[in-house]
Parts: sequence; C-alpha cells; structure tokens
Amino acid sequence: MRMGWADTVVLLLKLRAVLVLIVLLILFSALTPSFLTANNLSILAKHVAISALLAVGMTFVVLAGGIDLSVGSIAGLSGMVAGGLLTVGLFGHSTGVVAAVLIALLVSGFVGLLNGVMVTQFGVAPFIATLGTLYIARGAALLLSHGATFPNLAGTATKSTGFASIGQSFFLGVPTPVWMMAVVGAIAAVVSLRTPFGRHVYAVGGNERAARLSGIRVEQIKVITYVFSGVCAGLVGIVIASQLESAHPATGESFELNAIAAVVLGGTSLMGGRGSVGGSLIGAFVIGVLADGLVMMGVSEFWQIVIKGVVIVLAVTVDQLQLRLQSRLMPALLRSRASLGKVTI
Amino acid sequence: MRLAWAVTLGCVLALLASCHARDVRPLVVVLVPSQDNPFFKAEADAAARRATELGYRVRVDAHDDDAYRQDNLIDAAIASNAAILILDNAGTDASVSAVRRAAKAGIRCFLIDRAINATGLAKAQIQSDNDQGARLVAAEFVRAVGGKGEYVELLGRESDTNAQVRTTGFHAVLDGVPGLKMASAQSANWSQAEAFSKTETMLQAHAQIAGIIAGNDTMALGAAAAVKGAGLKGIKIVGFDGSPDAVAAIKTGEMQATALQPAVLIARLAVDEADQLMKTGKTDKPEIQVIPCELVTRANAAEYEGFEHIVKPK
Repeated sequence: MRMGWADTVVLLLKLRAVLVLIVLLILFSALTPSFLTANNLSILAKHVAISALLAVGMTFVVLAGGIDLSVGSIAGLSGMVAGGLLTVGLFGHSTGVVAAVLIALLVSGFVGLLNGVMVTQFGVAPFIATLGTLYIARGAALLLSHGATFPNLAGTATKSTGFASIGQSFFLGVPTPVWMMAVVGAIAAVVSLRTPFGRHVYAVGGNERAARLSGIRVEQIKVITYVFSGVCAGLVGIVIASQLESAHPATGESFELNAIAAVVLGGTSLMGGRGSVGGSLIGAFVIGVLADGLVMMGVSEFWQIVIKGVVIVLAVTVDQLQLRLQSRLMPALLRSRASLGKVTI
Repeated sequence: MRLAWAVTLGCVLALLASCHARDVRPLVVVLVPSQDNPFFKAEADAAARRATELGYRVRVDAHDDDAYRQDNLIDAAIASNAAILILDNAGTDASVSAVRRAAKAGIRCFLIDRAINATGLAKAQIQSDNDQGARLVAAEFVRAVGGKGEYVELLGRESDTNAQVRTTGFHAVLDGVPGLKMASAQSANWSQAEAFSKTETMLQAHAQIAGIIAGNDTMALGAAAAVKGAGLKGIKIVGFDGSPDAVAAIKTGEMQATALQPAVLIARLAVDEADQLMKTGKTDKPEIQVIPCELVTRANAAEYEGFEHIVKPK
C-alpha cells in the first residue's frame, strides 16, 4: 500500500508534536550528559504526569467546546482538603488516608459540577464561569487554614499515615503518578474514541446545534466533561500534597495554563470538536521535557519562559497551517484514497 | 541528500556533547525564590560568584515560592548529580521532603535566609537574626521620635513566620517606652502598593503621628510615599531588610533607618562552608547559624550597597 505525497505531508504535520518531542529528546541528551539516564527519565515522567493528568481532563472540556481555567485552584483545594482531613480532621476526628482522598476528590468533582451547571443551566460563558471558580476554589483553599500550610502529612517517624506513598512510591520501578497518568490516559483515550459518550463529546464541540437536533443531551455531556476535569485536577492536588508531604494553599497556581498549553500542543482545537487525548499526553511530554531539559542545561529562568512561549505559539501556527494545507490538498488526498478504494475524510 | 543532513546533524550534536562533557567541575545548584527581587537576586549572585571563584560549575534557578516547582528543580539537581545545593526555600514545612530527598541522593544542602522545620537533613541552615534586627531598628525608632508620641505599625503577611518574629521584636522594645502609644497596626502583606494606600487611610485618622515602623523596606517605602503625598513632614519611618532603595531613601532623609539582613554575607558563608566540606569532609560550624543584622542610618548609609556592608578604604 503506497501513500500519496499529500498523505505523507498531512501525516507529518499531524505527527508534529511527536517529531518535536523526538528532536527535544535528542537535543537534550546530546547537550546534558545526565539527561538520558533511567533515573532522570523516571523523574521526568513523574513531572510530566502532573500536567498530563490535568491535560487529559481538560481535553474533554475543550473537545466539547469549553475551557476550564479552574483546574489549578481545584488542585490546590483538593490538597488542602486532604491535608486538613489528615491533620485537623473532620469534627475533631482525623480521618484515614482513603477517606481523606475520596472526600478531596468528591470536593473537586463538586467544583467541576458547579462549573458545568453554571455553563449549561445559567448560560455563563465557560471562560467566565471557570474564572469565577478559579477564585472561589483558591479562596476556599486559603480559608481552610487561614493561609497556612498543613505540615507532616506523612505522619511521624513512628506512625506513618501512608499518604506519602501516593506520590512517592514505585510500582515495577516506575513512579506511581506515572501509572496514574498511564491508566487515566488509556481509559480516557478509549472512552473518547470507542464509546457513545466520547463521540457525543466530539459532536457537541463540532456543531452543538446539530448535536442537539440529533438527540444528544448536550447539557449532560458538558457537565460530565467539567466534573471529569475537576476530578483529574483533584487527583493532581493529592499527588502533589503527597510528594511534598504537606499541603499549601497556593499549590497549583497557573497550572491551568500548562494544561491548556499541553492540550493545544497536542493538536486539540480550542474551538472544540477536533483533537485527541493521545495528542494532549504528547503535548504534556513536550512541555515537561522542555522545562526539565532547559533547567538541566542551566538556561536562565527568563529564557526558559520565552522559549516555552515560542514553542506554544509555533505549535498553534503549525496547527493552522495544517488545516489550510489539508483543505488545499483535499483533491490529491481524495484521489489517492479513491485509488485505494475507500473515501473517508 | 537525506544522509548528508543526518551526518551533519550527528556531527553537530557530537561536537556539542563533547564540549559539554569536558566540564567536569562539581556542580553547585543555587535555588532562590525569585530572580527579579533585589534581595534574592543579591544572594543568588553572591553565591554564584563565590562558587565560580572556588572552581565550581554553577546553575541558578528560581522556584517562585512554589513548593512544587522547588520540588521539580531539586529533582533536576539530583538528576544532574549536583554536589552542593544552596537553597532559599519555599516554605518551612513544604520543603522538608525535598531537602530530605536531596540529602539522601548525596547532595550537600546548605539553607540560606529561611530555615526548614527539620534538623539533621541540611549541612547548615544560615539565617539572619530577625529578632535582634527588629530590636535594633525599634531602638533607633524610639531615639528618632524622641521617646514619645503616637506611631503606626505596618505588619508583613500574617501567615509568615518572619512577620511574627519582627513585630514581636519591635514590641519588646516599643512597649517598654512609657511615652509611646500605638495608634494603629495594619497588615500590608509586605507590599508597597498596599502600604501606600493603608498609610494614606491611616493618616486621615492619625495625622499627628510621630512615626511609622514597618516590617520590611518595601512597606516602609510605600508609607514614605504616602507621607510625602500628604505633604506631612517630620514623620520618622523605619523599615527592615536593608534594600538598596531603602538605603537611598535613608540618604535623602525620607526614611530614618533599616536593619540590614546580610544576604550577601550569608550566601558567601554557605558556599565557603560547602567548599570546606567538599575539601576536608567536615565543617567546624553548627547546623543552625544565626547572623546578626546591622543598623543602617544616615550616618553610615554610604557604607551599604546591594545588601552588603562595603568596607570603605580609609
């Protein structure tokens, strides 16, 4: 089976995030001797897991035509809820780790539900609704401790709570957060491509009116995407609190921007309806590799910020280029596909 | 054609790699809260300069007071096989696990400016003496206002340990002076803009005050601007930190005094002790070290520059 030249061009553009990732990996391996070591790659994956988990949740929201600016604050709130339950406790009784984690995730999901209800029932634009919860969740996190940190979440030397193992332990030599990323990512990818719900998300984002007319429950779909994004963010908050063995109310500031950047880098359109979970995971890896690689090279902090911005802008530019090229190459694409006996776009 | 490209790329990368591999000097990683704040920049630059002088490879990064970002940067230091970490940390409690991980990975950790809530992990924790500095500057404040009248206090962020230590130090001195009365106390969260607007408001109610005592120089400068804007004269303002802006304001008389936190000295001490540890296997200093602050007034303001006491040749 031979592909036409047009297919090759389009395929290369589609794989651009992977290509960028490969180039970055080669570049950093050559420039920094300790970059390509098992130890560093494991640390790197652990860092990527944080923005990847946020990005996976964000992908569904964006695919359905929304945006979630509150994920960073939800992560902060979730860590504080878990931290508060473990140290201060509920009504004077310290809860166990499992209960603390579940309640924190529940609270995160509730904030997501709030986002969804505001967007669907009250017609608030997603940008504004989630901007509001960004402040509400951050304020709530600060209120929980009056701005202070909940310390010693790992317990004392004699009596460990086991909370620290959520973010710090390893399974088969791979950090637990990386497993979480893999599992959540795999489930999300399958759900988005192979289930009616997943296809409905694409339909809602692609053309909301058409989706509604064809009987899809648009409101329900949207609410679910926000709740899922909230729960993903809550998971991130717990992982970070576990890694630091303490919960600080400012945790997660500007995480939403990293998550959106990863989603966009992965080729998901902010207009909704186009993109994939896999793309967002690759996007998260690009951002993570870039961040850690530049730090290890000793590039100045200020340049790191500039370079990150340039990469994001370039990614979106190429995204637009791909769309335009694809439509211009459409005749050639159709010809080559017709010759193979299948016409799908 | 494609082969040619691949060969060229390979050569370039090999060349870059060989350049890099030749630098085998031990690595010193300096982590500070930010590089766009003069205090942290001064300590980062001082540590970096000293370490370079002593023959180390240096990397400087900022964690923006974000414990999670600090965690990632310390991971990167571990992955780069750093020999020494000079850290101005992102939180007494939130930094403990990261420092423990670095110490376990064999990095010699030296904490500067802020301590952590654990001992036995870092080789040294070197801080300036906030309590002694607060008492020093409060005593100068009492002298400047002549020991009587009303004053206003501007406090730092209330969740911050240093804000508490400083206000306690102030009051240890001020409350013992019978002629002095506190008219009002407000938190301005270390911020210049907030200190400006809060002082403006307080001056409406208490225009007769003799002085303003602030928990840091940034707030003192905000207060000075508000006093100037209100057209009031003779209100004595003191701050804390010894920032270059405050030293300049002391020279012009807009501020009365400040307590210099010897940031540059502390950064240098940390690098020197780390170097000693590298070369001899031990330091002869205790883990917790407290360095006294110095009083800066108009009389000696010319001797201070960039958080450092410059000894002038006679």
